[in-house]
Amino acid sequence: MTTLHILNKSPDHPRFALCLAAVTGEDQLLLTENAVLALADTTLTLPARVAALAADMDARGLTGNGLSRYGVGFDHMVRLTTQASRIISW
Amino acid sequence: MTTLIIIDQPPYGNWAGREGLDMAFSLAAFDQPVALLFTGAGVNWLRQGQQAELIAQKNVDRNLSAATVFGVDQLLADSTSLTRFGLAPVDLLAGVETVRFEPALLSSYSHVVCP
Repeated sequence: MTTLHILNKSPDHPRFALCLAAVTGEDQLLLTENAVLALADTTLTLPARVAALAADMDARGLTGNGLSRYGVGFDHMVRLTTQASRIISW
Repeated sequence: MTTLIIIDQPPYGNWAGREGLDMAFSLAAFDQPVALLFTGAGVNWLRQGQQAELIAQKNVDRNLSAATVFGVDQLLADSTSLTRFGLAPVDLLAGVETVRFEPALLSSYSHVVCP
């Protein structure tokens, strides 16, 4: 059972760590809204399978030093939701 | 097909935790299997001796301790959070089961909701 974890909390919101603690195995993490800041947070180690909404990244200027490779469009987000057997919105 | 509702918001300060409890009791009222997991500051809902009337709010200890009667199958509390807030099992409302918050725990629930 693979789970898509959709996380929109900022890295210092307590639920951010709660979500990371729940990600395991083949799960996919999708960062949206404030959560995309985690890509710039050098104190964090994110799970292997992580993506972030490009629109939220661009809005916050998070396009430099290779971060854009994490960016996905809304169409890709929809595809992620269809691939997962369960979705948790944190 | 059990639903797990995670309560990580503290009692009374905002409505998120109470909304989670209301969601659980509504699901239970419609015979949907539901479990509650208290974690983070949310474990403080389980502390005995709450007197919410002093801040013009309703105590939840009555409905929580009667959760199984209402049809809520499990009342779970994350052990790390309990320790963090100095809550020993004896300080908790009746019927609370201590667990560790980890992926394995979540995998047994088909829906996980975090209000």
